[in-house]
Amino acid sequence: MLAHVDSKASHSCVKLVGCPLGGGPLLIITGNCVKVPRNFRLLEELEEGQKGVGDGTVSWGLEDDEDMTLTRWRGMIIGPPRTIYENRMYSLKVECGPRYPEAPPFVRFVTKINLNGVHNSNGVVDTRAVSALAKWQNSYSIRVVLQELRRLMMCKENMKLPQPPEGQIYTN
Amino acid sequence: MAENSGTDPTVDSNVVENAASDGTMIVVTVKTPKDKEEIAISEDSSVAQFKEEISKRFNAKQDQLVLIFAGKILKDGDTLNQHGIKDGLTVHLVIKTAPKATVGGTSQSSASSSGTPQANSSVNPSAAPNDSTTPGTGPTPTSTQPPNLLSGFGDLSSLSGMGMGSANFMEMQQQMQRQLMSNPEMLSQIMDNPLVQNMMSNPDLMRQMIVTNPQMQQLMERNPEISHMLNNPELMRQTMELARNPAMMQEMMRNQDRALSNLESIPGGYNALRRMYTDIQEPMFSAAREQFGNNPFSALGGNLDSGVQPSRTENREPLPNPWGPPGTTPSEIRGTGASTTTTTSAGGTAPSASNPLGINASGLGNGVFGSPGMQSLMQQISENPQLMQNMLSAPYMRSMMQSLAQNPDLASQVCTTSALSAQQQLMQQMLQMFAGGGGGSSTVTPEVRFQQQLDQLSAMGFINREANLQALIATGGDINAAIERLLGSQPS
Repeated sequence: MLAHVDSKASHSCVKLVGCPLGGGPLLIITGNCVKVPRNFRLLEELEEGQKGVGDGTVSWGLEDDEDMTLTRWRGMIIGPPRTIYENRMYSLKVECGPRYPEAPPFVRFVTKINLNGVHNSNGVVDTRAVSALAKWQNSYSIRVVLQELRRLMMCKENMKLPQPPEGQIYTN
Repeated sequence: MAENSGTDPTVDSNVVENAASDGTMIVVTVKTPKDKEEIAISEDSSVAQFKEEISKRFNAKQDQLVLIFAGKILKDGDTLNQHGIKDGLTVHLVIKTAPKATVGGTSQSSASSSGTPQANSSVNPSAAPNDSTTPGTGPTPTSTQPPNLLSGFGDLSSLSGMGMGSANFMEMQQQMQRQLMSNPEMLSQIMDNPLVQNMMSNPDLMRQMIVTNPQMQQLMERNPEISHMLNNPELMRQTMELARNPAMMQEMMRNQDRALSNLESIPGGYNALRRMYTDIQEPMFSAAREQFGNNPFSALGGNLDSGVQPSRTENREPLPNPWGPPGTTPSEIRGTGASTTTTTSAGGTAPSASNPLGINASGLGNGVFGSPGMQSLMQQISENPQLMQNMLSAPYMRSMMQSLAQNPDLASQVCTTSALSAQQQLMQQMLQMFAGGGGGSSTVTPEVRFQQQLDQLSAMGFINREANLQALIATGGDINAAIERLLGSQPS
């Protein structure tokens, strides 16, 4: 994870710190000191979403391609096999607020699901139930959250929960 | 056969676009959880055309394909452009393979332990609703899978794992009723259960369930009013609304009681009431008393608006007595012939005006319904009307019917007013039958039933097939429990 952070830092660091200071060794800036601007991050995530980075079991993208604020995102989780969620596709809404990635995004399910940590009435994901959200780090991303939710579906306590009929969505 | 012959495996993100006659070709990666293919397609083609290409490449039918891009599902009518699918991007593909089969398969084994109470519950109140139009089932129902079905329902041995700790149907039902009484929250819980809601919003289904109950049929013969009532969809709907809404039910109760008391004052009305009670209510009470899932019945009785036919609305407690304990209000004179039913003999709530069967529906949620296995079972049932039908046309059902037929005493007992003991007998018979693995007419051996699980176990390294089978039978198809058994017995 740390390496991940560093690589991201260096990615943007290149732009900020072009040359070594005073001829000495290159100043190494860790991820903690450099904050990747929000839009850079989100654009990167957008690109990853379109390129299908990851194992192909989750997908994410902007809800509206014209959204310049890159706030509203849509996610899709493919139900893991050998669970009751198998063969279903769960659609989610992810909202990355202005403080993203310092602050975790808001996640809610659109497709009805019976999963621990998801409110039954409106599909809102309880931040405390998902460790990626509860212990959010700015190196996490939408993909991480979606993958974690998918992992939750594979947990013993969730994998056999009875589900509402396929195709239902939360209306509120 | 690829129409777009320009595809080569070595394409990367920056591919030289081939200018084809009908638009630029782009290469899109299509990724499934297992596979990855690159497909060249015209930039302005539609999703449907894209799917056509994909179906050729992946050897799947077009309508089995679901495409996802950037978190959205691509609908056939959309175009690739619309979603911003450009060269080098990746689209996710899910191939739906008769979805309910697999879902049914995985949750069947988990539901096996709850199979029997479910069988119990749906056997008791009714036979199969033959063309049950279970609402809310979006996906297509699966082809029937008898082996899975039987493995789910035919094995009693895991009944004790149901969470009730009881291997005896009657005891379980009693426990349930006790729970019913003790927890008034349950009604809302059970009503929130989507299965129940679905069931209740389907008047046809409810009607069939009620009608196919042999006791009801007898009752109906004797009292045509009942069949009238059942055939009136408006009434059924109202009934179900009532059942769904306990507050409304109470209102209705009060209305009924007031109506009844008015009736009383009509000359001759009292006698009519009494007759109606003894003819209709009593047999219904005793016949359906112990039965699980008879919520429709409980509301059924109290639902009649007109005072002319208040068949099941004898009120032993005119209005619910807020101060007194339940069931202590003196039985009215009308209830002469049936004061026995006033007392809560089996732990059920005292039968009252609109709760003629003495079932406090409010408790129904947690005990059995609430257990996850059961719920998943009910979930399957609601999703797959075929399942219900199959279950009830399954061999052991037939053998039960056969035994009923062969033993007219038993049959007549079942249908008479002293049904309590008859119920017990029936239960025990069913118990034996289930334990016998579905009676003599079953053609499916445990080995076949547990084929899938056996394969999984052997893949995991449990090579002793015999032991695996034993373990599976003991746990009713539950792989995890079977593994524990195996590990417990052979420390290898």
